[in-house]
Amino acid sequence: MLRAAAIAERAGVPSVSIVTTPFMQQAGVVSKGVGLPTLPIAEYPGVPMTDGSDAVAKKVEALLPQLVAGLAGARDAARTTVAEPGPREVVHRGTLDEIQEHFHRNLWSDGLPVIPPTLARIERFLAHTQRAPSDVIGHLLPENRAATVWSIAVNGVMAGCRPEYMPVLVAIVEAIAEPIFRVEDAGSTPGWEPLVIVSGPIASRLDLNHGQGVMRVGRQANTTLGRFLRLYLRNVAGLRIPPGAGDKGSIAGSFNVALAEDEGTAAELGWPTFGVDQGFTGADSVVTVQSVVSISAPIYSAGTHALDHVRILAEVFGGACGYWSSIGMKYARWEPLLVLGPSIARVIAEDGWSKDALRRYLHEHVSITARQAETYALQVGATSYTLEAHVKAGVLPATYAASSDPGRPVPVFVQPEKIGILIAGDPGRNQSKGYVNNHIQGGRVSKQVDGSP
Amino acid sequence: MNTPEPVYDVVWPLAPAAAPAGSLAARSADLSGKTVGELWDYLFKGEEMFPLIRRALGARYPGIRFVEFETFGSIHGRDEKELAATLPGLLRQHGCDAVISAVGA
Repeated sequence: MLRAAAIAERAGVPSVSIVTTPFMQQAGVVSKGVGLPTLPIAEYPGVPMTDGSDAVAKKVEALLPQLVAGLAGARDAARTTVAEPGPREVVHRGTLDEIQEHFHRNLWSDGLPVIPPTLARIERFLAHTQRAPSDVIGHLLPENRAATVWSIAVNGVMAGCRPEYMPVLVAIVEAIAEPIFRVEDAGSTPGWEPLVIVSGPIASRLDLNHGQGVMRVGRQANTTLGRFLRLYLRNVAGLRIPPGAGDKGSIAGSFNVALAEDEGTAAELGWPTFGVDQGFTGADSVVTVQSVVSISAPIYSAGTHALDHVRILAEVFGGACGYWSSIGMKYARWEPLLVLGPSIARVIAEDGWSKDALRRYLHEHVSITARQAETYALQVGATSYTLEAHVKAGVLPATYAASSDPGRPVPVFVQPEKIGILIAGDPGRNQSKGYVNNHIQGGRVSKQVDGSP
Repeated sequence: MNTPEPVYDVVWPLAPAAAPAGSLAARSADLSGKTVGELWDYLFKGEEMFPLIRRALGARYPGIRFVEFETFGSIHGRDEKELAATLPGLLRQHGCDAVISAVGA
């Protein structure tokens, strides 16, 4: 919204933006990030989604002087430029405790102790990449900082990564810098968290866990790769919860540890690995990053036939996606991820099902009613959203407006091919889990790891 | 005698700011006779707010005209990047002298 205003200003058209009070600090971060720190703003007091029509009318009336002032009277304020440290500049000297305190005070840590980023440690990370420290991978909004290879090494050190993880760290940042990932929305109110998935030979080389307890903190590579990304979003994209700004996750969640696949089981079953599904070969080492906004209940399924399992997978995973899929429908981008326990995948595959057959089943058998989709989207804030309008606009296929009956079922999984399926977890138990993505935000992006395999 | 604690020299964990320097567009002192574009993210009751704004500013500024939000489409989400690329041309095409962008929440 402020980015559109900035485009107008740069095109010579004055703007004023309506921002609600709880988002004023966020607006400050975005305005600075787009290079126009004095973008005029009219502050709407409170939360429009809990205001009735009368309250909206009164508040809009009260906004008018600010709207007029923004359009007719705003002027650029004098800029003060604060010099920022260079990459090799020592910004603090101290004991371990003093370093922690300094980083906490400056909002540079995630609340956990960090490994002090000394020049010697950073150099050890840089030795594991061919790229120059000054190389810029991309620019990360909302704070709009240059994602340099140097900054990747610094935050990798802080997160407790090993130096040999560096090529994976670079690939992670390459993924989140892609426009389709929409890092600028990583601080949105749903509070989604990126999930890193490591595929191919590098996963075992770095000792990533893909078995029992795969998503639990505890294995160094899984844990620190996940932590690195949260630190990087905080320090380079500028996504900080209070007392910082930029991250407006309402309740949000903590970082996900990195996920790896049980590729040995996939090979035994003749199923393509997740990395192959993403367009690479099994010999490639690949990093994928996507959003995760919530996780299903553990999905226990039993039986000797595929249908015994896929029915309950559809019910529990589909249920977890259900209401939130309405926003996926709004944007027609919806990439949930199903982590199948190895024993479950084995029954399904040995019954002759491919991964695509499972995707089709989920697409055909999981639905919510049109009323549920539209009503929930409205609660989120999409106050003018209808499925019919989205069909008319060509965003959704015709089946979403097959009738005007609000009780008609509509598919939860908009595009079956976008359902990610990956084998991981405890081979000694019959459990799977579903990961719900945040619709268009945190779109799934895969990057080959430099120096692969 | 206690061994002295190690001391570390540490560097900055952020990265260079990349925001392009910019300045606000020149303003007119009066909105009378001006054309105002409505940019909306299709969220948070903008469909209630914009008609109220139209009525109120219309009563105060003779000849003010609005290019309604439907003309531009949503400035947030699926087609946001495409719209961003075409927005300057659209603003010119519709003769916009100013824009109101909403709703940040």
